[in-house]
Amino acid sequence: MLSFVYMKLLIIEDEEGLRESIEEYFTEAGNICETAATYSAAVTKIELYRYDCILLDITLPGGNGISILKKLKASNYTDGVLIISAKNSLDDRLEGLDLGADDYLVKPFHLSELKARVSAIIRRKMYNGSNLLVFKEISIDLQARTLKVHDKPVKFTRKEFDLLIYFIANKGKVISKNAIAEHLWGDGIDIADNFDFIYSHIKNVRKKLMEAGANDYIQAAYGMGYKFTDQ
Amino acid sequence: MKLLTLYNRVNIITTVVVMLITGIIYYQAISWILNDQNDKALKVEEDEVFDYVKLNRQLPQVFESKDQQISFAEAPANSVKREFINTQYQKEKNEYESGRGLVSSVTVNGKYYKVLIVESKVETEDLIQIIFAITIGVILLLLLVLLVANRLILNRLWQPFYSILRELQLFNVTENREIAKTDTRIEEFNQLNQAVTLTTEKAKLDYKDLKAFTENASHELLTPIAVINSKLDTLIQTDNFSERQSKLLNDLYGAVSRLSRLNQSLLLLVKIENRLLHDQQSINLKTLIEELLAQLEDIFHDKQITVSTTLDNKEVTASRYLMEILLNNLIINAVRHNHPGGEIIIDLNTDSFTIKNTGDAHALPDDKIFTRFHKSSGSDGSGLGLTISKQICENFNFSLNYQYLLPHHTFIIKF
Repeated sequence: MLSFVYMKLLIIEDEEGLRESIEEYFTEAGNICETAATYSAAVTKIELYRYDCILLDITLPGGNGISILKKLKASNYTDGVLIISAKNSLDDRLEGLDLGADDYLVKPFHLSELKARVSAIIRRKMYNGSNLLVFKEISIDLQARTLKVHDKPVKFTRKEFDLLIYFIANKGKVISKNAIAEHLWGDGIDIADNFDFIYSHIKNVRKKLMEAGANDYIQAAYGMGYKFTDQ
Repeated sequence: MKLLTLYNRVNIITTVVVMLITGIIYYQAISWILNDQNDKALKVEEDEVFDYVKLNRQLPQVFESKDQQISFAEAPANSVKREFINTQYQKEKNEYESGRGLVSSVTVNGKYYKVLIVESKVETEDLIQIIFAITIGVILLLLLVLLVANRLILNRLWQPFYSILRELQLFNVTENREIAKTDTRIEEFNQLNQAVTLTTEKAKLDYKDLKAFTENASHELLTPIAVINSKLDTLIQTDNFSERQSKLLNDLYGAVSRLSRLNQSLLLLVKIENRLLHDQQSINLKTLIEELLAQLEDIFHDKQITVSTTLDNKEVTASRYLMEILLNNLIINAVRHNHPGGEIIIDLNTDSFTIKNTGDAHALPDDKIFTRFHKSSGSDGSGLGLTISKQICENFNFSLNYQYLLPHHTFIIKF
């Protein structure tokens, strides 16, 4: 059952507001979230415990997040590392990834985006070799980018595919239209507040899934966004 | 007007005026002196006549002389007033020259005679003419020498000034180049050089401070924006919103994402200006444009915009990250300022990239559109897109220009 991925996370972030939001967003049945607000607290935790994924802020009181990453790698720990940084600098990004971070996310970000990235890291770590993501009657081959409903293949476009994975990673959460737009089109998308084209993608995903015999899991949420739910 | 031209003009006018005045005075003085000489000679002749009359009690014989003629005529007693006159000198029959004459009188044996002594002035005038010609010659020569000397001296003298000027013209507050020190012994230019160096250093320092401020401010803003964003994401997980609340939340999301994009743009701008992005690589623009267009396909479709392209293969060496931003900005710009059912035409060849779009039927002010925060009415952009595009182009020595050719707004990048 790959759909229920329990995560053990460490959130290293000095900004209280952000740390709490992340913690709250990730805490759900089965998940364990620990937090560290300072460099020394973070170092203590990584020396004592192992995590599935560490969310690592670069600028910390008392030290630099990059040296935490170096410590992890020097000790050959295999914790996934996602750098969250205010520095949208290519050099930083490259340095982080070169040092063995799994991903790099620039502030500000949507929690749903963070969740999707973390889920991807954990999937890669935990189920090495298997690229199958299963949710009820839907099974997705992440490598081949194919999708089956009740073992019958369904044709999805690239964006529809990304959208469905994004939804599944954020199961049970309301995802704002902004977050969806930014996920699918990147930061370049600052064209008015016209999200009609998101609606048409979601409509297509729902239609294709239901025509293939799957349940309708996607609900509109008060005109603000959408929610993927199995209830 | 050039300094040299103005200087020459003033110089020549005063020289000519002074020379003319001098010439006139000179001419008058020489005329007067030579006339005086003539008059003295006439007086000598007169005295000779008087002496002759006194001695011989008869009029002297009138004989032909080369340059003097004397004539006597009877006249009523005391009717002649003694005076010098300008008159004619009869050289030969029917050939006259200008002359100087002395009218006098003499009484011989009780008879009253009018005496007229005339001298030719030809030689005098010749002399004046020669002197005048020499004077004119000297004036012309002096003018010529002045012109040449001025040119040489000014050019050499003002050389430091021109080199400082050149330095200033090349000065760019964003560049790290120093104003070169101009070597000169002239104190004023040394002072100018110092003042220029100080001012430009100050300008650079201020600019650096400003950039640092922008960067720091934008950085500091990132965290609160991130907190607002994450709190909003958390807030919408709590249940049951009324339609009114949803609308408010949507507006908040919109505002926060705009704020965050604005902030990113500012940071990016600082980074480009600081030339902090150096992932130079060879990029096939054709492929890049095709990728970007594919990414935006839904948006074209949604706005019913027809995109037509003519793309040649073109490689540039640049930062891929920045080229993506540049092209994306221009394409998004063409979408944002388009109308439903409009069109976008993209051309790529080895020399240039051209993007044309339909839109409002009036030209944009091409001197303003590339400045920061210049926005056309109704634009939802950050007002930094074109500034960033321009900066990126400058970074790679491309030129970016705008034209309005009915019915298309056109942006051209020349490689």
